[in-house]
Amino acid sequence: MTVGLEHYLVLAAVLFCIGLYGALTRRNAVVILMCIEIMLNAVNLTLIAFSRYVVPQLLTGQVFAIFVMVVAAAEVAVGVAIILAIYRGLTDIDVNNINLLKW
Amino acid sequence: MNPIIFNLEKLPDWFGVLPEIILLVFAALVIILDLFVSQKKILAAVSLIGIIASGALSLGFWGTELSFFNGLILTDSFAVFFKLLFLGVSFLIVLASEDYVNSFRRLQGEYYALLLLATTGMMLMAGAGDITTVYVSLELTGISLYALTGFLKDRKSTEAALKYLLLGAIASAVLLYGLALIFGITGKTGLGEIARAVQAQLSGSASVSPALFLGLVLLIAGFGFKIASIPFHMWVPDVYEGAPTTVTAFLSVASKAAGFAIIMRVITSVFAAPDWLARDWATVFAVLSVLTMTAANIVAIPQSNIKRMLGYSSIAQAGYLMVGLAALGSSPFPGALAGMSPAQSGVLFFLASYAFTNLGAFTAITIIAQKIGSDEIADYAGMGRRSPLLALALTFCLVSLIGIPPASGFMAKFYIFRAAVQADLLWLVIIAVINSVISAYYYLRVVKVMWLESPPSAEKVPSSALPTVSLAVSCLGVLALGTIPGLIMKLAEMVNQFMP
Amino acid sequence: MGLAAAFWVMAVFAVAAALLVVSLRNIFRTALALIVCFIAVAGLYITLSADFLAAAQILVYVGAISVLIILAIMMTREVRQGNPANRPLKLPVLAVAVVLLGLLVYVVVASPWQVSGTPPLAPTTGPLSRLLFGSQGYVLATEICAVLILAAILGAIVLAKEKEE
Repeated sequence: MTVGLEHYLVLAAVLFCIGLYGALTRRNAVVILMCIEIMLNAVNLTLIAFSRYVVPQLLTGQVFAIFVMVVAAAEVAVGVAIILAIYRGLTDIDVNNINLLKW
Repeated sequence: MNPIIFNLEKLPDWFGVLPEIILLVFAALVIILDLFVSQKKILAAVSLIGIIASGALSLGFWGTELSFFNGLILTDSFAVFFKLLFLGVSFLIVLASEDYVNSFRRLQGEYYALLLLATTGMMLMAGAGDITTVYVSLELTGISLYALTGFLKDRKSTEAALKYLLLGAIASAVLLYGLALIFGITGKTGLGEIARAVQAQLSGSASVSPALFLGLVLLIAGFGFKIASIPFHMWVPDVYEGAPTTVTAFLSVASKAAGFAIIMRVITSVFAAPDWLARDWATVFAVLSVLTMTAANIVAIPQSNIKRMLGYSSIAQAGYLMVGLAALGSSPFPGALAGMSPAQSGVLFFLASYAFTNLGAFTAITIIAQKIGSDEIADYAGMGRRSPLLALALTFCLVSLIGIPPASGFMAKFYIFRAAVQADLLWLVIIAVINSVISAYYYLRVVKVMWLESPPSAEKVPSSALPTVSLAVSCLGVLALGTIPGLIMKLAEMVNQFMP
Repeated sequence: MGLAAAFWVMAVFAVAAALLVVSLRNIFRTALALIVCFIAVAGLYITLSADFLAAAQILVYVGAISVLIILAIMMTREVRQGNPANRPLKLPVLAVAVVLLGLLVYVVVASPWQVSGTPPLAPTTGPLSRLLFGSQGYVLATEICAVLILAAILGAIVLAKEKEE
């Protein structure tokens, strides 16, 4: 069985949904950050698969994926800065108990 | 098109982002000056000069229809309108921040610089003509705002920043998935190219390809986070309560306006034709609008913290704005989506009015909180006697949020609701009017506490100069838009959207 | 055939590692599983003939992001506290995730993707650099990314700096 665009897209969809599930159910901020990275990886995989199969000569999807990587790195940097600020006792909240869906 | 003094066709690409470049230069200048200058008021002055310079340059693009950088950025009146709105908001925020910024001796330069960077991101969002620029400018705005939210570094502020960052990152991943699907089905990244590819695929077929439809749904979910529509609003109450009040004001006004700018830019250009496709997303916005205003207004009633209450109030206002988006999608006017429709000008007018109103309300709260050290509505008792002018200004802004003349909120709602009635959305307008009546209850409760209850102490609440100027400008804006709405409405009606 | 085999191996590794990330109790092992997932995705990029992206994935995700995350774990000594889940929300979120997955799979199968038969461009580094920095490409987005990194640095400094007394 040859591997085509659909295989990559389904794989990316599976990764994205695993990441989304983890991001919304975990309570540890570091783990939520990790799950968000899985989601972004899934989108990058989608973009690169489209780039390979839909516009093989243009590489536009790959360029977009590079921008996503930059943004992901920047987000993690700011996220880790906040987590460190919390831990170093600058405040008294618990990184282990972030409840994202409470309102 | 306006008469143009010199030939714009031959301009170098960087000319198209000159307003943003100027703002960035001033942001860098603020950071550098922060190292050498001990009189920190200079930093605010430099930021204000940068904002004015950028605004003046933006104005030069009014009425143009140009694209730069190969279509990555567009200049049209639509972009100019929003750029001036963002710059105006950050001007008033810088003025209003004086007291707040003085409370932290270090990092003042970073505060102003991040504010200018967030504004730059929003300006780029308004002019974005390509899904890559949409994404990176959205993230530039987001990251600056995450940092600004955590600026107070106390418990609530840091928790708010963490929550905002994590939920914001999840929302932008969802949005990105939507953009990826749209890229995949069309093979293009430019909004104009995508629109043409979509129309080519749809011509002759009566249904939309599933990828395009899911892409649209994911986009609405991602943008719904930005404008704080229910059910993507979980971040709003905590973040609004935890962030520095000036940043909350900035979030509630500029960030929301940027969300609407990008929704109108992307959705009305890519999914404008055929009619039934536009009606599809119009229905989605109509449903979201009903959910958003109703739930937000009901939850706002029992709130005891005024920042939280205004947080829910701003969610409800997004609901009224979405009435305008629904009207835009089901507008009976041919070519309505290229601009010049009553629904689009109504949304623009509402955003301008909402900007002045909410900024006024938040500035008043900032001034009061700085002096009485509390955001609880109960502590506002007798404010009418302790500081009559301040209480009067806050009352006026709250009245505008309800939508009672002569405040601008009335005209804003009138324009949007009229456009919705013309688009056969009477049922939606009726629900929105009922909601406005419900909302009067919690706005007027604050007014009652301020004027009718006796103050705990007779001590006056003094206010410092610059925030007062900011408050006065906001209130004058509310009054001006409410009494002579024709002026801004004329401008809003001239706003066009350029499709490369 | 080799490509197909590589795809299936990488796919199994990526999904298994992602599942471990959301289910392991020990947070340090979670981070290691995340690294496996990143490497598997880099392998998938190679099967898509995205050589530059595969290298960037290793450098940025495995090299930088994972190290930052492990640093955060070490600095906050969270290993002992584990990786608690949000019990009451587990089921509704699981339902949402499964429905979304079903929708996505349906979309992938039912959409008329315009797959092009032309072979992919290789190597990609040269053309990518022209797209990133050339005037006919995405140079403005690249510049906005630079500003974004400035904002992130400012933000990280502001947030992580010690509070003055």
